[in-house]
Amino acid sequence: MTRTTKPDDGGPTATPAASLRFDAVQKRYPGNARPTIESLSIEVPAGEICVLVGPSGCGKTTAMRMVNRLIEPTAGQILIDGRPNTERAPADLRREIGYVIQQTGLFPHRTIAQNVATVPKLLGWSTDRIAARTTELLELVGLDPEFADRYPAQLSGGQRQRVGVARALAVDPPLMLMDEPFGAIDPITRERLQNEFLRLQAQVRRTIVFVTHDIDEAIKMGDRIAVMRPGGRLAQYATPAELLLSPADEFVEQFVGADRALKRLALGRVRDLELEEPTRVRYGDPVAGVREALRRAEVPYPLVIDADGRPLAWLDDDDLHGERIADGIGSEVAVVDRDDILRDAFSDVLQHRVQYAAVTDHRGVVIGILSADAVARELAPPGPAPVQPAEAHHGTGA
Amino acid sequence: MSAPLAALGLFGDAIDVIFHAREGRAGGAQVGGLSDFGAMAWTHLKVVLASVGLASLIALPLGLVLGHLRRGGLLAVTVSNVGRAVPSLALIAVFIAFLGVGFGNVTLALALLAIPPILTNTYVGVTQVDRDVIDAAKGQGLTGAQIVREIELPLALPLIFGGLRTSVVNVIATATIAPVAGVVTLGDPIFSQAVYGDAGKLAAAIVVALMAIVAEVGLGAAQRAVTPRPLRGTPGITRRARFLPTLRKGAATS
Repeated sequence: MTRTTKPDDGGPTATPAASLRFDAVQKRYPGNARPTIESLSIEVPAGEICVLVGPSGCGKTTAMRMVNRLIEPTAGQILIDGRPNTERAPADLRREIGYVIQQTGLFPHRTIAQNVATVPKLLGWSTDRIAARTTELLELVGLDPEFADRYPAQLSGGQRQRVGVARALAVDPPLMLMDEPFGAIDPITRERLQNEFLRLQAQVRRTIVFVTHDIDEAIKMGDRIAVMRPGGRLAQYATPAELLLSPADEFVEQFVGADRALKRLALGRVRDLELEEPTRVRYGDPVAGVREALRRAEVPYPLVIDADGRPLAWLDDDDLHGERIADGIGSEVAVVDRDDILRDAFSDVLQHRVQYAAVTDHRGVVIGILSADAVARELAPPGPAPVQPAEAHHGTGA
Repeated sequence: MSAPLAALGLFGDAIDVIFHAREGRAGGAQVGGLSDFGAMAWTHLKVVLASVGLASLIALPLGLVLGHLRRGGLLAVTVSNVGRAVPSLALIAVFIAFLGVGFGNVTLALALLAIPPILTNTYVGVTQVDRDVIDAAKGQGLTGAQIVREIELPLALPLIFGGLRTSVVNVIATATIAPVAGVVTLGDPIFSQAVYGDAGKLAAAIVVALMAIVAEVGLGAAQRAVTPRPLRGTPGITRRARFLPTLRKGAATS
């Protein structure tokens, strides 16, 4: 089901994404002493994913549902592209705001195609236009067109959620609301859907309000994250990196977790790091020359490469004997792509005997070495400069 | 009476009355026969259609609205219980005081009998629609009326037809009391045993039973026909279709 969408089908790009602003929004329910949302003010720039995250009862879903007026605020207002959302009738407003919920809420008596066509039909599109758009949307979310005539009950949870997303995107809404869209899906499928959704979002660039209670999902999906605490108070509104690097207070720190340094690994890519240069050798090279080159190297192991520059093996001290390097010796190399997420790359590094990974470009050619040290340096906050040894090593490799 | 019917005793005699007119037990006029029973059956049917029609006109919209608002559940249940507790015979007697005898009186009394199953089933049928489905419909910009028409009604139809079926069968059986208000339904031979005799009484009962069975079977088929295709399985409330996910290529993975 991982069909890559053609880059040129671009999907909908006609309507520009909308900006969204919560302006001192408050929600009180009669009979409750404390407000569900005390006073929420956040601004979401057009084309970004804003994740509302927090423990149960923090008002995140309430906040989201006020955007399309499924819930009306007690005070304050919500502005879409600078205009209060109360300017329009709720039904009209909602037709222009995509809506995805955890249990998908697909209409069980309608086919997938009919479900996806719900809003276009409400807006009175022609049959031809609806049919074309439905096919396009199913492809966009990675569903075979043969699903069009099936019913929701015939689909798996993951497939249903794809249909939910397709339905929300049907009229290319400038704004989308997603309430724990991947919450009820098994972890493996969830991960895949998240990745696909991010790829889709890179294509369609909608403004999205995304509700979740899962901080990892928030960090992964969000351009900005609003951490809310019980009682509907905003604890911090920041980019994922800022949130992990400098939590505003103890609540946020606790919520993002003790492993927040590790979580930052999910944000970076291998290419963001300064890579080290390996000592590149070939099978059959003279051992003496390799030993000489290693004296000045950053990485204390020679890396055997093939004729095209692809990594083959690490050599260690025991391998360097005799005249020339014997064919086929050495230990397995962890290979990571320069576009890999740091967390995955780091995990690869840790799982190998030699704790350096060869970083390759898209052709598989070694462009540098990723070390556990480099990852650690990336995570450490800027601190005191380490004491330099008397004789500094400025190895440049072979 | 033909020989095979004679062998069936009173039952055979009853069948015979349906087809052949004979002299009334009280003497004089001819009773029985196809034209007599046909006329009574037609009146019976008219009473049933009128009362169930009237009941539907009241109970369907009321049930849809109450169900949509998810309010008045107590009302629906109370109406249903009261409706079952008050005998139709008593209602007819009461209505005689206000409406006099005749078709209107009987129709109203039987409509009151028919309302509870339709009302309750419509209400339950609408409220049992998945709340997430309603939330999604609302969130996409369907108006209240559109939600009722396009989502709640189609999904509640199987239960609504179930209620209708119960009502029709109840009313067919109970329309036999119509003669007390002067409407000559198939109840007449049952009440006027003195005229029709045991065979006539049994004959009317047989025709009423047949009508009830035909209505039951016919409406059962209709109920199945109005059930949205993916929800068919057991008649009524199945939320999820019974068919297994088709494990064709691509369908197994998400």
